[in-house]
Order: sequence, then C-alpha cells, then structure tokens
Amino acid sequence: MGFNLKLAMFKPALKFAMERSGHGAALGFKLTRVGRGEVEMTFPYKEEVIGNPITGVVHGGVIVSLLDTCCGCAAITVLDRRAITPTMDLRLDYMHPAEPKKPIFVSAKVYRNTANVIFCRGSAWQDDEDNPIAHCVATFMKVDAEDMRFSDILRRRVNRLFGSISKPSKEVLEEPK
Amino acid sequence: MTQEISAPENIDGRLRQDQITETVITARRANDPQKILDLIPYSSFIGAQARVESESVLYWLERRASNIGNPSLPAIHGGVIGGFLELSAAIEVLYVLDVSVVPKVVDFSLDYLRPGRYKTIYANCTVLRQGKKLVNVSATAWQDDLARPIATARCHFLLP
Repeated sequence: MGFNLKLAMFKPALKFAMERSGHGAALGFKLTRVGRGEVEMTFPYKEEVIGNPITGVVHGGVIVSLLDTCCGCAAITVLDRRAITPTMDLRLDYMHPAEPKKPIFVSAKVYRNTANVIFCRGSAWQDDEDNPIAHCVATFMKVDAEDMRFSDILRRRVNRLFGSISKPSKEVLEEPK
Repeated sequence: MTQEISAPENIDGRLRQDQITETVITARRANDPQKILDLIPYSSFIGAQARVESESVLYWLERRASNIGNPSLPAIHGGVIGGFLELSAAIEVLYVLDVSVVPKVVDFSLDYLRPGRYKTIYANCTVLRQGKKLVNVSATAWQDDLARPIATARCHFLLP
C-alpha cells in the first residue's frame, strides 16, 4: 500500500475528534492505528466505569462505546465523498468477562462497503486476540453531507439557544400544499 | 444469610455479594431502584438514574458534556445510549426478578432509530422471558415522545 496523503492528514484529525472531546475524552481511550477500513484502539482500565462492584470488571456499556467508536471510525475511513455515517445497528456477543486492571484492545474492520451501507466487524480482547472478550457486527448508513443543509443546521442551533421559535424546513416546505 | 462466616474486609473498595443482596432487597422494599444503580460505578460515570413511575421503572440520563459523541450537532454518543440501555436492562433484572447477583450479559443488540439529541434520554425495560438460565430483556430509549424512540435494544442475560 502506497503513501496516502489524505489518509495521513486524516488520522490526526480523527484522533483529535475522538480522543479530546465528549465521551471519548471521558473514557480516555487512544486510537493506536488508523488505516483504510481498519482502526485499532486501546482503553486503559478505569475504576470509574466498573460494572460489577464485586469483581471490579468494567461495565458492558464501556465495551459497547469502544466497539461503536472503533467501528464508526473504520466506517469513516472508507468514505469517498463528503458524508456522515450514523450507526444503524450494533450487535455484541460477550464471550467472557474482562479482567479488571488490564487494558482492553479493540480493533474494527470494514468487511463490505456498499453504495449506502457500510458493514463492520470488531472485537475487543485483553491478553489474546484469538480469545476476545467481545465480538460485534455493526452497520452504518452513508448520509451525504450535502443532504444536511446549512440552513437546517443553523435553525437547529437557533432552536437550541432560544427554544423552538422556528420550525424545521421540512414542515415549512409542506405548508403551501 | 452468610452471617456465620465473619465478614472479611472489602479489598480494593470492592463490595461483597451479601452487601449487594442486602441493597437489592432494601431497594425493592423501598420502591427505589436508584439504590441498586448507586452500587454500580458506571451508572454515575454516565449519570444514569431511575425511579418507579406508574408501577414500572423509568430510567433516565440527564444531558452531560462527557456523554457527547458528535460535538458539532451535538449528539449523545451511540455507545452511551447502548451502555445506558444495557445498564437499565441489568437493573431491571435485579429489581423486578428474584435475582440478586449482578447478571452476566451474553449478547446485546441495538438498533439506532433517531439521533440522540443533547437532552435527557428516558428508557424503560420489559422482561420478555425468564427461564432457568436465560433472561431476555428489551429496552427502549426516547427523548420527547415515547412513540418516537431513539433506540431499541435487546439483551440476553445468563443467570447463575
């Protein structure tokens, strides 16, 4: 695989967006590898996200977040046009509980990229990649960024600031009938 | 129940099973599922809360900057919605069924129906089937209108 400038510039941007804001920053995972259709992440153990207070094992929800993020990132890397990729569905199988105080490694791969849907699979493991904690399949929709009109985004922002004073454009368009 | 064994000191701030059993029983008697949620650190990490409303449990997740997934919309992180529904389903098993061991999740399936806007998310759960070993719970999340859910989940738990 040759050098891809677009992908090379894309990685730091994706890393920044995922690791420095919102839930990614709260969880504190790191994107360790970003390739076309393949993303890897590492999550250090955290006391705050324990799900079983007896054993100290992290909550399944953390694994959901990690796999959703990792698969979502992998989906973004295969886009060839300006689009966003909301998750359609996510299915997780928990093979065995995670061990406390150990980092969790996550990898995701796009295995099919069609005109409208991106199919991903991901897995999370600790010691042995062949003996994962959890495995998942996720599908993502391709929504063209052009479909999201600037006026709609602006209106949404105004609504958020001042309450619902303006209606979304769809309803406005339907009114004249 | 295990009073004859002298209770060992909690290691690492971990709880013992008898403490969990006690809290679960207290919560059922007091009609307060929040007591069970308080046992699980992850619930305060995402800010999940619960109360009994018209004889079923209502779970909710107040908006919080650390739960944002897409800062430009802003929308709640899909993983948080998933984690919240999985947590709600587990609490439902502990609170409604005669189970006092934190249930083991086997699989979890989540359909995203609408984006989670940056405001409170509500959820309710239904135990669809309880077998000797397996429990199937369905969970629905919504924001403004119960009839317009933002996500639905289905979860299998293994009982000890």
